[in-house]
Formats: sequence, C-alpha cells, structure tokens
Amino acid sequence: MAEIILKNITKEYENGFQAVKNVSLDIKDNEFVILVGPSGCGKSTTLRMIAGLEDISDGDLFIDGERMNDVAPQHRDIAMVFQNYALYPHMSVYQNIAYSLKIKKIPKSEIDQRVHEVAKSLGLEELLDRKPGQLSGGQKQRVAMGRAIIRHPKAFLMDEPLSNLDAKLRGQMRVEIADLYQRLNTTFIYVTHDQTEAMTLGTKIVVMKDGEIQQIDNPTNLFSYPVNKFVAGFIGTPTMNFFEAECAEENGLVVLKTVAGRIVMNDAKAAKLREGGWIGKKVTGGIRPEHVILSQDGENTVFSGKVNVFELLGSNAIIYVETEAGMIVMNTSQVQVYEHGDKIALSVIADKVHVFDPETERTVTN
Amino acid sequence: MNTRYSDKSPLYLRIPGIVGKILILAAASVFTAFPFVWMVVSSLKTKADILNTDIFFPSEPQWGNITGILFNSPIPKYILNSAWVSLVIVALQIVSGAMLAYALVFLKFRTRKILFAIVMATYMLPVAATYIPSYIILANWGILDSFLGLIVSSTVSIFGIFLLRQGFMQIPKGLVEAARMDGASHWRALWEIVCPMTKSSFITFGLMNFIGTYNNYMWPSLITKTSDYFLVSQGLRAFFVRDGAYGTEWALVMAASAVVVIPLLILFAFTQKWFINGIGGETGMKG
Ligand SMILES: Nc1ncnc2c1ncn2[C@@H]1O[C@H](COP(=O)(O)OP(=O)(O)O)[C@@H](O)[C@H]1O
Ligand SMILES: [Mg+2]
Repeated sequence: MAEIILKNITKEYENGFQAVKNVSLDIKDNEFVILVGPSGCGKSTTLRMIAGLEDISDGDLFIDGERMNDVAPQHRDIAMVFQNYALYPHMSVYQNIAYSLKIKKIPKSEIDQRVHEVAKSLGLEELLDRKPGQLSGGQKQRVAMGRAIIRHPKAFLMDEPLSNLDAKLRGQMRVEIADLYQRLNTTFIYVTHDQTEAMTLGTKIVVMKDGEIQQIDNPTNLFSYPVNKFVAGFIGTPTMNFFEAECAEENGLVVLKTVAGRIVMNDAKAAKLREGGWIGKKVTGGIRPEHVILSQDGENTVFSGKVNVFELLGSNAIIYVETEAGMIVMNTSQVQVYEHGDKIALSVIADKVHVFDPETERTVTN
Repeated sequence: MNTRYSDKSPLYLRIPGIVGKILILAAASVFTAFPFVWMVVSSLKTKADILNTDIFFPSEPQWGNITGILFNSPIPKYILNSAWVSLVIVALQIVSGAMLAYALVFLKFRTRKILFAIVMATYMLPVAATYIPSYIILANWGILDSFLGLIVSSTVSIFGIFLLRQGFMQIPKGLVEAARMDGASHWRALWEIVCPMTKSSFITFGLMNFIGTYNNYMWPSLITKTSDYFLVSQGLRAFFVRDGAYGTEWALVMAASAVVVIPLLILFAFTQKWFINGIGGETGMKG
C-alpha cells in the first residue's frame, strides 16, 4: 500500500561506474511493476536503492509522498525477497519467518498465530522446525516469501526470485506470485531478466538497458508498439527479425524494398514515413517470427532462401531460413515438415512490420 | 592429516610415512609437554628432591605444597584478580572488535579503506613501542596502579578484529541486508545474525585473549606496583623472589605455577572443539 516515485535517480558506484542513469518512474498504490532487461542493466541497483541498501547518488525517492533518500532500510517498511533467498542459516523456518515481528516486539502469541497463518498459506506448516539447509530450492523460496508476507509491508521488492528454480517450479511459482499479488493488494516491484516472466506477470513493465529506462508499458503495447529496436528485439521469443530496407514511393504507395521483394505499408505507417521524410532513405525493418508467412505466389515474396533448421514444437513450428537478407525466423502454425536445404519463399503480414531509424534505432512508425 | 581414506596406495607402502608422522608428532608433543609435566611433578617434591637431578619423581608426594598454596598464600587472590580482569577485558574486546570488524566488512563508507590501513598498521607496531605512550596516558588520567588502568588500556584487540573480520567475510552480505530489510538495526544484525554464524571465531578470540590477558606479565607489571592489583604472573614472580635468589622455595613456586594453570585447563577442556575450529578457519556454518 504505497506509492513510490523515482525522480531522476542516478547511481554512480565508488569506481565511477554509472549503473543507473536518470531514471524516473511512478509506481502507484497496489501496482505490480516489473523491471526487466538484460543482465547488468541496473535492475538490481534500482531495486536496492528503493530498498535503501544502496545510496542514491542523485535524484529523489519518494514513498507515500515522503522523501526517503536518507532513511535507513529498516525504517522504510519495505520487504524484499532476494535472488538467493538469504535465509538465516542458524534459525529454523519458524524463526526466519518470525524474525521481523520479533524485532517489532509483537507479542509472542500473535507472532505464533501469524507465522502459522503464513506457513499454511504457503504450504510450509510441516517444515517450521527445519533449518534452511534442510530445504529444497522451492521450499526456501517459499520461506523467503513468507518472511516478506508476514510483515504486511508497504511494498514488496523481489529480485529475480525465481531464477534459481528449475523451469517447472518456476512456472508454478509464477502463478503463486500472481495469486499472492491478488490476495495481498500491495505494491509489488519485481525484477527479472526473463522477458517471458515479465510478460506473463506484469501489468506495467519497465524495460531497461545500460542503466536507462527504454519503455514503460503494458505487455500488449510492448509487444505491438516497441519504441525502439532494443525493446522490439528484447520482448518476444523467438526474437524479432531485423532486415535492411529502403523506403520508397511507388505508384502513390509507400513501400519497403528488401533485397528480394517489397512490402507495401498501410496508410498509417505510410503517413508516418512521409512525415518523417524517410522516402528514399535506408531504414531497418522488423518483423516478428509469428508474422512471417509462406509466400503463396511469387508476387508477394519478401525473402527467399533455404531452410536451415526446422523445429517442430507440436501445434506450431519454428523455421530458420537462410535468406539474402540474413537469417529469418518464422513461427507458423501451419505445420508442414521441411528438410534442411529445402527452398522456401517467405512473405510478411504488412500491418505488423516495424520500421526503425538505422542511426538512432528509434521506431519511426509508432 | 587424515590419510586413512584419501590415500589410495596399499597399506604396506604407507607404513613408513605413518610411522614417521607418529614419531615427529610424538617428539613435538614431548618437547611441548615436558616442561609442563616437570612443573607438575616438581610441585609435589621437596626442595631437596628438586635440586637432586638423579630423580625425576618425588620420593614422597608433598601434597602439603599444593594445599599450602591454595589456603595459605596470596596466589588464589591473584588468580581471582586475573580471572575477573581478563573476563572484563575480553568482553570489552569482543564488543569493540565485533563492531569494528562489522563496519569494515558490511558497511560502505568513504574512509573504510583508510580505517583498515590504520588497523593494519597498528597490528604491525611492536607492542613494546606502545608502552611508553600508554603509560603516559594512564598517568595523565590518574589510573596507574589500578584495575581500571589495567582494563582501560586493553579494551581493543587488533588480533581480535582481524580474526572476526576474517570470519565475517565468509558471511554472504545478503544475510545482513535481509536482516536490515526485516527491520534490524546494524547492532541487532551483528549480534543476532553475524555473531551466531561466526561463533567459533568469537570463541577462539575470547579464549586466546583470555589466556593472553590472564598470563600477561610485562604490561601489568609496568603499571601496577601494589600487590592488591597483581595478576597471576606478577604474583608468581613476587612469590618467586620473596626470599631472595638463594632462598627460593622451588617446590612452592612449582606448586603455585601448577595451581595457576588449572583454571585455564578447565576452560580449554570446555571450549576445545570451538577453539580448534576457529583456528582452522571454519565458521561452524555447516549444515
Ligand atoms: N558495487 C558495485 N561497484 C561497481 N559496479 C557495480 C557494483 N554493483 C553492480 N555494479 C555494476 O552495475 C551494473 C548494474 O548492476 P545490477 O544492478 O546488478 O544489474 P542487473 O541486476 O540488471 O543485472 C553492472 O554493470 C554491474 O557490474
Ligand atoms: Mg540483478
């Protein structure tokens, strides 16, 4: 239950390295916000500054309207789940969960009741007497969550909480975290490098790169309207195909000319491209694998080449095609088996094409 | 040292090595233990027996030597002095050492490296070089020749800071951070999270410094001259020179020495497991 505002926050480490650059972010009460980005982009640093574990070099942090830059972590009333769980090895599960309440001098009987409540909701009742060393990864994860939940904190911070679990458990815990969020009705800030995790959990996703925020949006918009080539490539698997093209005007239509063909832009995109003065210039095109289709006749072929790898995933197949424009990946549900080296002609759904400025890599068609 | 399971070569090839090892260890043990045994044996002799080099064991055990020391000498008082002064000093050293080590390991502040360099430099300074300045400070404060002076001049142990720092560095920083997020102050994090995880470092620290302080001779003898404030080593010496060089009651000196060691032996017996762990660098964190 907290509103958290980051205003032009910068973190410069002792060695002079700027890990977070001028980050501004508004997190509303009860929002589930995800920080996502490749490893080393400053997600943990941002989270740790909110927690108070790392000094803020520049900018302001407000929690519920109060400036918190100089408030010690234990006075921020924020709970954090660490990547490696950070359970106290010399304490039992019970003591681990109860520790924050003990510090707050809550009466023993109430602590006992709350610990059992939390343990029950997380399926930990049988394990209360164990030491962390005797728990599996998934159980440790639950204890770490229990330790956070029991406090009823203003906000939950989670730093890659699932990255140490195997894939199956990760999927399961993901559902549980979503469920937890619904139940607790508290502000969540969740850090992950895994865009799938971000897309399935988040309502508001913050994409970061090199210490800077690239885009803040909901999953649908991130997928459909990435603001730049980085976001376009980072969100979605398999990743978006990028190709070189030239923007041209033919018979009153704006087209992208590729090595092997042309893509006719719809009215909206055409208008944007004209407006930006892109006619006659080189651009970078982008198309997601699921928007690459088989070319029915020679007419609308955009890429042609040979099948390199064919992966059948059940209801759909991923086909890697070696084309004149480089490797193009297609994700199709019209499953038809290909062999390595088969010739193939590809087209694209023109409405789904993204166009980027080759210099700044910003999207020019949004 | 545990060659039993790791060594794959057949037993007959290993025998010379094992025998060699046993011989070396036995020789080392004899050299270390002999003075101690000699002291104990001599404490039960008469003065004449001690000076007679032909016999090792007393012709007749003189239990009176021991009881004399226990009930009819100032030695028990010195033991008590030594014990409680050492206890207070070690307690203070543990608190100050733990706080400094915690700051050096877990806190980020601009002067951390400088602070560590200063601590390091202090460690390299010969103790004797500090005697005169320390003496002057105590004199200025008017606490020479007092228990307070003895205690105040030993509240910080650089060795202890090093030992604890070494132990603390084994602890993942995340644990302290988790405690901070749970609402713990640095003080609580130190005593409730860090300390229990480095128990053996603390016990080693406490024990080594307790023994050191208990036995300390040089510094206490510089700053105290009233026998009321004597620690054991000083007390023993006073006892030793009481009757002049030729009148020394060797048997009584030996009996007194033996009595003085008893508290340390008891202490060591109880903490042996931790003591050895701590020196070996284990944090007792297993399991
Ligand atoms: N204490 C530190 N001193 C210097 N650089 C650091 C420190 N901690 C992290 N960094 C650097 O800051 C960048 C961001 O780190 P981090 O926030 O942990 O990234 P992420 O969590 O997104 O993987 C990385 O390049 C990392 O090497
Ligand atoms: Mg990280």
